[in-house]
Amino acid sequence: MRQQGYLNLSPRTQRIAFNGLLGTLALVLSAWEGMLPPIPVLPPGAKLGLSNLVTMYAAGTVGLGPALCIAILKGLFAGITRGFVAMLMSLSGGVASTLVMWFFLRLKGNPFGMIGLGVAGALSHNAAQLCVAALLTTPAIVWYIPWLLLFGVCSGILTGLVLRAVMPLLDKWRPIERDA
Amino acid sequence: MNGRENRTRLLKKQDVVLIAILLALAGCLAAWFQLRPVEECIAVVEQNGQVIRRIDLDRQTQTEELALGGPYQVKLLVEPGAISFFSSACPDKTCIRTGKLTRPGQSAVCLPARVSVRLESGGTSGFDGVTG
Repeated sequence: MRQQGYLNLSPRTQRIAFNGLLGTLALVLSAWEGMLPPIPVLPPGAKLGLSNLVTMYAAGTVGLGPALCIAILKGLFAGITRGFVAMLMSLSGGVASTLVMWFFLRLKGNPFGMIGLGVAGALSHNAAQLCVAALLTTPAIVWYIPWLLLFGVCSGILTGLVLRAVMPLLDKWRPIERDA
Repeated sequence: MNGRENRTRLLKKQDVVLIAILLALAGCLAAWFQLRPVEECIAVVEQNGQVIRRIDLDRQTQTEELALGGPYQVKLLVEPGAISFFSSACPDKTCIRTGKLTRPGQSAVCLPARVSVRLESGGTSGFDGVTG
């Protein structure tokens, strides 16, 4: 039997607590990432997307609704700490990548492993942000696509690897599903 | 939740295929953007979505600063054959880190200030095709 991290709480309470935990984790990761100094070799604007870890995990475990809530929470947090433009960028990217990863996980016979999912998530994140950036400024930033592709692949692989490593820890706190 | 078995697989064959396709695509696009013949190079400066300046970088003979004002006091540095963001009060400085733009097709953007600079080749339109 799986080790259970909770006391005798109702399944509903467990789910709420677990979603709260994931939401907090997403905020902490994105705040921490914001504190890292920029890495010179990376293209400008490129980020590791650490909080995508959480949306990916959430999309696969707690379902679409809570996963979207986490993405929106992350966007609002970016709005409070980094301003309106950052909020739009974070929201568009977070919601798009959550939807894409959820879609692949939900497919019968999901074609991708965790690395592939991470890459799909990172690229949909980038694509949505690029669209928003194009709307806010000018369509000329399509020239940025090769960099985004390259970097999205790298950060997606990283996301997959790290999530594989931390998943057992998260699973320990995950409520046991009693529904079908 | 039938996904647990799938999720625990780290790498599948399809992942490698996906990554290979994406990297090939990135390489092709980058090569296409880079190898386009260099023509005369015009910097198009947009603020709040409107073109405010067009600067022919080939005819630029001296280095000068171009102050755009706005909430972030963006300054561009216009040089012979190159243009770059010189200073901006935006929080992330992404625009400055982009560095000098020297070839048609390159662009630099300061999202918070809603300023973008892109280099176009001499023709009337900067694009000969945009997809996606």
